[in-house]
Amino acid sequence: MIIAERKPMNEILGMLDGVKKLLVLGCRGCVAVCSAGGDKEVEIMASAIRLGKKLSNESIEIDASTYIRQCDPEYIEPLKEEGKKYDAVLSMACGVGVNFIADLCQGIKVLPGVNTTFYGANLSSGEWKEMCAGCGSCVLHLTGGLCPVARCAKRLSNGPCGGSQGGRCEIHPETPCVWHFIHERLQEQGEADRLKEIMPIRDWSTAGDAGPRRRVREDLLP
Amino acid sequence: MATKKSRKKANAEIVGFCCNYTVSVEPSVLKERGLVPENIEFKRLPCTGRLEVPAILDAFAEGAKAVFVAGCKIDECHNLSGSKRAAKRVQYARKILEELGLEPERLEMVFVPRGESEPIVEAARELKMRLSTMEGQS
Repeated sequence: MIIAERKPMNEILGMLDGVKKLLVLGCRGCVAVCSAGGDKEVEIMASAIRLGKKLSNESIEIDASTYIRQCDPEYIEPLKEEGKKYDAVLSMACGVGVNFIADLCQGIKVLPGVNTTFYGANLSSGEWKEMCAGCGSCVLHLTGGLCPVARCAKRLSNGPCGGSQGGRCEIHPETPCVWHFIHERLQEQGEADRLKEIMPIRDWSTAGDAGPRRRVREDLLP
Repeated sequence: MATKKSRKKANAEIVGFCCNYTVSVEPSVLKERGLVPENIEFKRLPCTGRLEVPAILDAFAEGAKAVFVAGCKIDECHNLSGSKRAAKRVQYARKILEELGLEPERLEMVFVPRGESEPIVEAARELKMRLSTMEGQS
């Protein structure tokens, strides 16, 4: 899922300078699961803004709502009209939601309430880890299911680098070296010979370096 | 779609969210006997585990200068993990207070043996003293 985290309050309050009527808008998708922008976090954000404004002797009227998703047009459709009642909408969705509202809801000022950080897995309650970089060119079948793009600090295609020591990353010693794991995993699977093949130079154009990516499935188009 | 909350103005200087099992004496009695500062409001909860961060922040927004949460001792919570959850929420609320420029020391979690009011009285007095010190410094 997409992982996000609440922006610091001073940044939020800075964005809200001059805003008198605000809608804090959550999303019940990924950001709800990672406890950044679901119903609970929307309530916390609304209360924190009220308190922040009170401390600076400013008034603000805040409504709170949470949509099922902010990345599908049918769910944000009501905002096209509803949003006009507010000076701004603080979206607690990932950057996709903020962009989609900005694209589809003309005349509505949308602001980001969270920083969208990575695609990750939930290790335990309150802990998430990056597992995928969304690079558009998956090589997991060659690496024992472990991603060198997301999990190697140098994004090496043929690792480990010379700095990996005792299975730890030289850049972040608290992080295990994913290439160490890849070797171990392929060895366990009897496929260690695969590592003798040099992976070709990666085409990063699929990773977004060639502009915004788009996927079309003709069979699903209206 | 959007929900609106009506917010009443509170005048209490200190708000104490207390688990139902921690306060054996009626808060009004504590006040009448002068055991706790005068301008204090007690809010009784079935369990502090039910206390959410917005309630704490709202107490400050409604005028409280300090807030304490009194839950059962960690291993004595009637609902097993209620006070543990409350402590984590208090910790998070303190982080938000700090981000907003308020001293996190204005918010305190206390763990109270079941049915004992004394630690609550102490917490209220301690917070009152802290407030006096903070206000003296500013």
